[in-house]
Amino acid sequence: MHGRLKVRTSEEEKYRKDKERQEKLKIFQHAMRKIISKRKQGEKDVEQLELTGKVLANNPDIYTLWNIRREIIEHLRKLQSDEELIKLCDSELSLTEYCLKINPKSYCAWHQREWILKTRADPDWKKELELCNTYLKLDERNFHTWDYRRFVVSHYRPPLQEEFKYTTEKLHDNFSNYSAWHYRSKMLLELYPDLDGGRPIQDSHHKHELKMVVNAVFTDPDDTSAWFYQRWLLGAVKSITHLVVFTLTPVRTTIAFNCHVDKPYLNACIQLYINNELVKGEFVSTGNCEYDDLWIYKHGYPIDDNLHAIRIDHTISNTETETLYCEKYMPCFYVGKNKINFQHNYAEPVLKELKEQLISLRQLQELEPDSKWTVLTTTFFLWCINSSEHHEEILKNLTTLKRIDSQRAGYYSDLITKWSMEKLLPNCYEQKCLDYKLDCNYKITSLPHLQYFSFCVNVDLSNQDLTSNCLPSLIKLQHCKVLNLSNNKLTSIIGLPELNLEELIITGNVLNIEEVEMYQLEHFSIMIFF
Amino acid sequence: MYDRLDAIDVEGVVRFVASMQQEDGSFFGDQWGEVDTRFTFCAVMTLSLLHRLEAINVNKAVDFVLSCMNFDGGFGSKPGSESHAGLIYCCVGTLSICRRMDALKGDELAWWLCERQLPSGGLNGRPEKLPDLCYSWWVMSSLTMLNRIHWVDKETLEQFILACQDCETGGFSDRPGDVSDPFHTLFGLAGLSLLGNTAIKRVNPTYCLPQETIDRLKLEPQILL
Ligand SMILES: [Zn+2]
Repeated sequence: MHGRLKVRTSEEEKYRKDKERQEKLKIFQHAMRKIISKRKQGEKDVEQLELTGKVLANNPDIYTLWNIRREIIEHLRKLQSDEELIKLCDSELSLTEYCLKINPKSYCAWHQREWILKTRADPDWKKELELCNTYLKLDERNFHTWDYRRFVVSHYRPPLQEEFKYTTEKLHDNFSNYSAWHYRSKMLLELYPDLDGGRPIQDSHHKHELKMVVNAVFTDPDDTSAWFYQRWLLGAVKSITHLVVFTLTPVRTTIAFNCHVDKPYLNACIQLYINNELVKGEFVSTGNCEYDDLWIYKHGYPIDDNLHAIRIDHTISNTETETLYCEKYMPCFYVGKNKINFQHNYAEPVLKELKEQLISLRQLQELEPDSKWTVLTTTFFLWCINSSEHHEEILKNLTTLKRIDSQRAGYYSDLITKWSMEKLLPNCYEQKCLDYKLDCNYKITSLPHLQYFSFCVNVDLSNQDLTSNCLPSLIKLQHCKVLNLSNNKLTSIIGLPELNLEELIITGNVLNIEEVEMYQLEHFSIMIFF
Repeated sequence: MYDRLDAIDVEGVVRFVASMQQEDGSFFGDQWGEVDTRFTFCAVMTLSLLHRLEAINVNKAVDFVLSCMNFDGGFGSKPGSESHAGLIYCCVGTLSICRRMDALKGDELAWWLCERQLPSGGLNGRPEKLPDLCYSWWVMSSLTMLNRIHWVDKETLEQFILACQDCETGGFSDRPGDVSDPFHTLFGLAGLSLLGNTAIKRVNPTYCLPQETIDRLKLEPQILL
């Protein structure tokens, strides 16, 4: 039950209400018994329509009764004249309308209306669209009405521009109409995709929408709807699958990507050459998934210390290929790293618009330094425009957010972690080193982008704020021998994946001794410092 | 839960559920053709509990769910429908059972979900709506599957949940002061379990069943890394 206030009633009142309820129940049970016995007899007639209609008018959510009505209507369709059928369908529409007045969120009443319109010979779609307009005036957020509108539009097929315009009007009435923003996002992609550039949205429209959002958020900064739409617009950039790092050792060969790919993709797009010889093999997901961002390549090629010319080709598209060349990092250990870059890439006019908006956002932030949405949006703009240049300001803002929006402190901590990693990684990739040592001013709280470190042998994650929830993602450390997790917030080591570790350091965590001893028994080859 | 799956006609159930799958991967609720991601989740969950997922086209079911993904990373009841925390639970749950959590936009979706928390500590199901106890389950289970439960404030949420308990009947209601019912009582207790309350048995975030049942059935719904 939703939204029913519990009220204290006197004994007398209670007695009266109970009696009333008893009466209603009696009538209801009587009608239901009659309906069920008639159905058993196979009586698909007008009387049954009347009986079910009466019950539904008070209880629109009884699926069974709508189903019985459909059986009858289907039956009558074979018997009645065209005129009679029109009347039958019209009265069914009236019933659903009546029921929807009682419960505008009745799934089955809405579905009955769809079913009638889909199956009758003479649907009046224009009228239905007008009905949607009326209902959306009464409740602009009823998602059933919006769904029904999309259903009507899919049959009536008005120009999509008109529907797009409708959302503009709705939003100008009230920018806080999240349902309208949602509908708009769907049509924007359909109406204005950037077919030449491969971006999700055409530049001019991307820019136009950003302007519209700014209008909305400056009208009412506390309304959250437009902020979500804005976040989406900021993220609407082209994404391309890239190789990240390739590692070849006698034990195992791994390939990491910047996103999740599946086996058919790998088989079609990835080729490994050693000494100019194509190496055939099979891909196995490290996470035991169909799509993964770190894959093991099983092959029979003997890996010794004298390999040269190791390269891996990745066909990105018909015209584009990327190649990683491996270097020897230590005896029998070969690594090929790509150039990596996390910066979003916008079209010039969009970037210009973002920079202009950043100026006004900063002004706003000066006026209201503790306004969550202003600080958060400024931070995202900084990150989108140039994450590396604005890194310090971004982290400062996120620290502020942890204070002024403390309910979501965990989210902001994870953003600090992720963006710090993204700042560190490109530099780390330029060094010829097999160690992973964190070097940032903030303690990390999660382990994003871990597949980028899949080649590392010594992984030092000590003195951070990692919890046991992070442990399963360590499966990405496929070449790790020494893992230091000391001085974190681990409470259990269950969830630590099977890795070929030689040393595991877990001092300075609040762990259960028996659990660790058990783990040691099962992993006697690992030296555990506890 | 009672370990009595032998009491049902498994073949009959499997046949019916599989017959509800459509060409586009979606599921009807019954022969009358209503399509909804809730039905997809019910179908996938039922078959996985019976270890008979192979009876349907799982890839197509997943593709259908993904066709319901929105600009905010959330999901609605069918393609084009607005995101709603209850349906997000159904869709994320489907992907968890089918082990396709990779297809989610984890950060975007989890941010939208953690923004459901209101100053009272309670959670709503869509932007600009009132808090409701049952969203403690829809939102928190989804966040648990996304491995980001720490993005909401557990303390104020727990306070909100406990404030929804009717001290007279013991049941829980949607909001403090409303009439309690079994629906909200289940989701209140299950929500408390996700928050780490040890007075309640561990509840599995994907199935909303005791973890011991899921373990006994040897099911391994996926959690995002
Ligand atoms: Zn509720």
